[in-house]
Amino acid sequence: MISPAAARAALIVALLAIWELSIYLSGASNILIARPSQIAVAAWNMIVGASSAPDFYLNIGLTIFELVVAYAVAVVIGLSIGTVVANWKVLGDALEPLLLALYALPKVILYPIIVLTAGAGLAGKAFFGVLVGIFVIIFNTSAGLRQIDPNYLRLSDSLGFGPRRRFFSVILPAAAPTVLAGLRLGFGYTLIGVLTAELLTVNSGLGRLIDWASFNFYTPDLFALIFLAIGLGILGNMAFSSLERRWVR
Amino acid sequence: MSAASSSATRTVIAIRLACGVLALLAWDLSLRLGLIDPLFLATPLQTFQALPKTAVASLPHIAVSFLSFFQALALGVGAAVVVGYLVNTSTYASRMFMPIFQAGVTLPKVTLLPVLVLWLGIEKTTIITYGALSAFFPMIVNVAAAMQEVKPNQITLARSLGLSRAAIMRKAVIPAMLPVLASGLFYACNAAMMGVFIVELAVARVGVGAYVHDLAVTFRTPELYAAVVLTSLMTIAINLAIWYAARHLSKWRTVDI
Repeated sequence: MISPAAARAALIVALLAIWELSIYLSGASNILIARPSQIAVAAWNMIVGASSAPDFYLNIGLTIFELVVAYAVAVVIGLSIGTVVANWKVLGDALEPLLLALYALPKVILYPIIVLTAGAGLAGKAFFGVLVGIFVIIFNTSAGLRQIDPNYLRLSDSLGFGPRRRFFSVILPAAAPTVLAGLRLGFGYTLIGVLTAELLTVNSGLGRLIDWASFNFYTPDLFALIFLAIGLGILGNMAFSSLERRWVR
Repeated sequence: MSAASSSATRTVIAIRLACGVLALLAWDLSLRLGLIDPLFLATPLQTFQALPKTAVASLPHIAVSFLSFFQALALGVGAAVVVGYLVNTSTYASRMFMPIFQAGVTLPKVTLLPVLVLWLGIEKTTIITYGALSAFFPMIVNVAAAMQEVKPNQITLARSLGLSRAAIMRKAVIPAMLPVLASGLFYACNAAMMGVFIVELAVARVGVGAYVHDLAVTFRTPELYAAVVLTSLMTIAINLAIWYAARHLSKWRTVDI
């Protein structure tokens, strides 16, 4: 029997083939939908610079830069708040409902305000990315630290570990799975936040490219850019999977 | 309640109040000290004064948005429950399909928006479709998790106690699944609201997103902040109600001795 992963890959290939054939045979409008082969050609042309996409590498680079800045900020602040909240019970109890309320807020309703106060440039988009991505990092960090078996800490004390050794040999490995899951989800949400901001103010980055393709009805290019954005998400996910395999035993 | 725990409760409340006061002060001072142009930011007082008028003006938009939201949520959650149930009845199917749905939670679906507009127009269909798509993935992941909560031992026990099929559903299957389903509903709700507001901000002419967008681009700043505060409070209230309901539903797990 074939493995589920192989079956999944076969299913995706089959779906692409059906997509290709059904559009080819039905002669559906090339403005409404493109065939996978056309999308691949459009993607290739963009990569080698043969398409009319405006400043392809500059815009892609800008999106990746916004993503990196937003994610770095979300990770640093998220891990810090999560650690403080987990170790300081009174503060944790006090802040939990406030953080939960902020998390439960559909952040996009704040986006017009962010544009007004922080501008429609890098700062506003990165800030929105942080806002969307940070909460899952905070919650998973504090949950990961809180769920450590107290016996492990007692053991490390009775073995005479110093605070540094206690942190690196006991706390970090015990909390790693939950914290890493938070970092993985946080990456996905930050990407969603940055791209949402870009699509709402289509002045630069991948959002500008997607707007260019959809405004001109360059449908193969539009799909190529969508696959590119989704590819960024998949790439991040794969990076975290390999990190998890290495760190979590 | 002991003296120590009541003083801890007082500290907790004091910290919460301090956070609220600090946020208001920072908001007010950023204007008073001229850090932000009053064209872009209204004072807390101005926002508060604009609340009643804005509440009346935004009522029809709120009604439109929440109708879209409920339709999107029903569609997305309904599809997730049906597909999730079918996929997770077999271990093989679940291992084959669930990674795709799990990836779907964090993949940037927002990039599909131009395609949806191309196919469905700038009508309500686009809003509901995108909202439903947003709600589907977090819900289906939780449907899968909820089905894992039903332990075969509990079913065997219920059967050996001579319970009927309906009674097994009522006493064993549903109580085990409900907490996880409810927390899935929390995530789905949040995602569907986000989805509805994104499409409204981007393309719609009515709805809260469209109203907020109009206020922002015409610099009716106090009304803008009042509308955002109003919408935020309403959505937070709905989402937190579901959150605490989910927590209440899982209370039976912790045994009080």
